[in-house]
Amino acid sequence: MLRVEGLCSGYGGFEVLQNISLEMGAGETVAVLGPNGAGKSTLLKVISGLLKPASGKIYFEGRRIDGKPSHEIVEMGISLVPEGGRLFPELTVYNNLLVGAYNKRTRRHFKESLEEVFSLFPIIKERQNQIAGLMSGGERQMVAIARALMSRPRLLMLDEPSSGLAPKIVASIFEFVKKIKERGYSVLMVEQTVKKAVGLADHVYLLESGRMVFSGDQTSFLNNPKIKSSYLGI
Amino acid sequence: MLILNAVINGLLFGGVLALMAFGMNLMFGVVQIVHLAYGQFIMVGLYLVYLLTVLYHVPLLLSCALATIAIALLSVLCYYSVVKPLLKAPPINQLLALAGLWIVLENACLAFFGATYKGVQVVLPVLHVGEVYIAASNLIGFGVGLITLGLLYLFLNKTYTGVAIRAVAQDAEVSGIMGINSRTIYLITFVVGGALAGITAACFVPVYAVHPHFGSAFTLLAFIIVILGGMGNLIGGFIGAFIIGVVTSVSSTLLNPEIGQIIALLICLLIIILRPQGLLGVRART
Repeated sequence: MLRVEGLCSGYGGFEVLQNISLEMGAGETVAVLGPNGAGKSTLLKVISGLLKPASGKIYFEGRRIDGKPSHEIVEMGISLVPEGGRLFPELTVYNNLLVGAYNKRTRRHFKESLEEVFSLFPIIKERQNQIAGLMSGGERQMVAIARALMSRPRLLMLDEPSSGLAPKIVASIFEFVKKIKERGYSVLMVEQTVKKAVGLADHVYLLESGRMVFSGDQTSFLNNPKIKSSYLGI
Repeated sequence: MLILNAVINGLLFGGVLALMAFGMNLMFGVVQIVHLAYGQFIMVGLYLVYLLTVLYHVPLLLSCALATIAIALLSVLCYYSVVKPLLKAPPINQLLALAGLWIVLENACLAFFGATYKGVQVVLPVLHVGEVYIAASNLIGFGVGLITLGLLYLFLNKTYTGVAIRAVAQDAEVSGIMGINSRTIYLITFVVGGALAGITAACFVPVYAVHPHFGSAFTLLAFIIVILGGMGNLIGGFIGAFIIGVVTSVSSTLLNPEIGQIIALLICLLIIILRPQGLLGVRART
């Protein structure tokens, strides 16, 4: 479904990602883990078209997407939940969801998408007229995920969905991700909260200083001695 | 009674000012540029109405409508030729380019229409309500201003494109990953902003005669209102317009019109010093 080949990218000459390759199949949940500053968010920015790659190729469902503008990439079926949710603070929750379904492919399915999102997150239905900027961090993250689903993506990308949230809220966010995964969406998730993310992932990648240093399934990740000592603290 | 008169006429005139400031504010909020040539668009609109009505004998309302469309088109031209190439340029370059457009428009009008005052003779009655005298021209401006702003409110809150415009104003990057092409939204914003300048010009027809330096005072006035309300804050700009309308009207009545302008500028300076984010503005996050 998604294939990244030899991707390099960065900001103004400073290379953040060096020769990154990644592959995921339809319906899979993939976690990209790594410490702060490893380039995890940069990777999602490049895939979603917010940042142009310096070199390398990205294929989505067989079509090459690297270098395309972000509004075209959404149209093709990739949706990103940015770090911290980044809702439109002065719009109501309902209008945030409306903007989520903006692209041509999904606009006419707005009502169906809305029903689907409400069934996933019933609380959003009650809050739909609230101004997004006045919600709590956890609620904003939930609405941000809902907004991304409004574009009816086949690949949902989550940039640190747990960042800045209290542990109890983090647990509920991962519950949402699990629900979404069970509905058959492909999920590419970037995280620092290793244990929870690995628990959901079919495949795990580890990024360190812009390089992919590990790729494998859940069990091999959890049993890797080096990872055990530096990331899991066992 | 004199003051009450001035307050009421100032409030009514505030409706047109609100319309004028809304256009500049919208372009600042969405495209993040200060449209320095905005008043000159209004000036060109007034000249067009003069040209059509006086020289070609087109009915006044029709020529107002045609001028509005023409200014919207001029705004599109301005977007493609001046703004779009500089979207990623430093703000000072954008500012200078639009100041250049200001000079070009002023001198084009000077060359074409000459330096004398041109106006359409529209005689509108002054209405008496009890002891208050209300200029019908102010009443018309107020009505047109409020109706247009009401329609804009519906457009920005109830239509897909309108909500997308607000989304781009709040977070252009995230709007992109929602599937919004910000360039298209910028273009639409310039069409709307230009049309607003055109409608403002139409409301000014019975009030002012136009001359080549007509625009700069209104660019400044729009800018003062926008600062007063908070840059990019549409409701703040709305309130600011009525404040400026009343202040200039009262001080013009009691003292003289030049003093009115000076007081408006003083208010602007005080706001910049004491409350730079404007009356309703929120400080920019850093």
